[in-house]
Amino acid sequence: MRRMILPMTLAAAISLGLLGCPSSKNLVANGEAVDTSQLSPELQSDYLVFSQRCSKCHALSRALNSGDRDDVFWQRYVTRMRRQPASGIAPEDEPPILRFLHHYSESLRAERGGQK
Amino acid sequence: MNRWLLFCVTALAVVAALVFPSRAGAVDRNFAGSAQLDYHFVPERTARDGTPQMFEGFTLESAMKLSVDVSDHFSANVKVCFGCHGFETDMAYVDYRVADELSIRAGRLSPSFGAFNLRHDPANHRLSDKPLVYDMGRMMRMRDWNQGVLPSPFPDNGVEVSGTHWFGQKLQLDYAAHAVSGFKGDSTSTDLDFVQSRTGSLYYVDNNARPSFGGRLALTARFSQFTDATLGASAMGGTFDPNNDLTYLIVGGDLSFRFNKVNLRFEYLLRRQEFDTSQPSRFKYDVPANGNYFLKHGGYGELEIPATRTLDLIGRVDFMYRSGNLPVASALQARSGVFRYTLGTAYTIERGLRAKFSTELWSFSDEGVTGRHNAVSAHVALVGAF
Repeated sequence: MRRMILPMTLAAAISLGLLGCPSSKNLVANGEAVDTSQLSPELQSDYLVFSQRCSKCHALSRALNSGDRDDVFWQRYVTRMRRQPASGIAPEDEPPILRFLHHYSESLRAERGGQK
Repeated sequence: MNRWLLFCVTALAVVAALVFPSRAGAVDRNFAGSAQLDYHFVPERTARDGTPQMFEGFTLESAMKLSVDVSDHFSANVKVCFGCHGFETDMAYVDYRVADELSIRAGRLSPSFGAFNLRHDPANHRLSDKPLVYDMGRMMRMRDWNQGVLPSPFPDNGVEVSGTHWFGQKLQLDYAAHAVSGFKGDSTSTDLDFVQSRTGSLYYVDNNARPSFGGRLALTARFSQFTDATLGASAMGGTFDPNNDLTYLIVGGDLSFRFNKVNLRFEYLLRRQEFDTSQPSRFKYDVPANGNYFLKHGGYGELEIPATRTLDLIGRVDFMYRSGNLPVASALQARSGVFRYTLGTAYTIERGLRAKFSTELWSFSDEGVTGRHNAVSAHVALVGAF
């Protein structure tokens, strides 16, 4: 049992250290999710659908770290995900999810100095 | 034949990615990946000769995946992973979707089975290791137990037909049916040989030319915008020996609930496994007339709660039982069982990057080499996804 003390202490120290670290200051990043205070009320509603549906099987970062993609890419991506077994993504969920991802890509482009 | 199938599928995916015109032709490529470095601390050795009976210390699981949407109906995926077993092709398949209700997948794929396998990538589950029934190398006394009921993932060469249909906005029905090469073993194997089933050194070909078959049916009900539940049933089975004499059958049931971001999951798996009894002296117990099989079954319950925007709390209880005859040298008994209790946290350092911590209490029905039934272990892991 004594052998457990060192790794447990180490794990606790790392945990405390990480808990004390600030989250990334990247655009709209707040932990795994998005800082919704930067979104309009309509987009906040779209984001809620996105964050609920797209975190069932994987972390939101899977989609959010895909970068600034165009609408055709997102359309196919979301449709492919919707067809996954037990995805819980209904056809009616696609428009709000795509609206949010469109805005998200535009925001990334704007932050990187592209056109908006 | 299967080598040719895999070759053709991989070649088709590469050709599709390279030859089709890019953005103007609306071919979309997505490159994704993940890596998890886990340190598994096990204070007590469990094998009689003092060697570890599980993968302890540092283990790495990493994967890279290329998805290509050639058109709205045709896509290809290639995923290569690196783990304790070296490099493995986890996916190399093409998908052709006729409609939501009919999709055909061919190549190297993990057939639809159970609820966990979809989340088997370490970036997609919050604890460092998999549930016991899906364990692939991290369970204590794994050599005695020969791992879980169905070590995950289980890529294989074959074809799967699947589909999904929504009844209004409340009910989603999914189905899948597959034919794959199936697990492998020798004519005298007393269990499935998961190394032989996977290793490229024995070629990625079927050992008995007879496919294994299976399928899955799942119903998802949405109770509100933020609450849903999924009930699923799965099965797979076939012969695993070169002579097509010995069979295996794996069945499973799963039930999961989602309340906002809280996940509550239950899953149960059972495998009925035949073995050759022509040499009764190889076995620990007498072999009765119908004693040519064992049962291995188990399940888990798991609760995942996001405590803050960056911290998840996870609790899991899993168990596994085995009943039936054994090789003479086995440390297990005619009936053996194990329970594991896990408490863990997952902390999001930055989007896509997580630290995982968990502690496990193991309770075995059989004594270990030190005479104890209980043991503890702990995991510290860092996982990143892109």
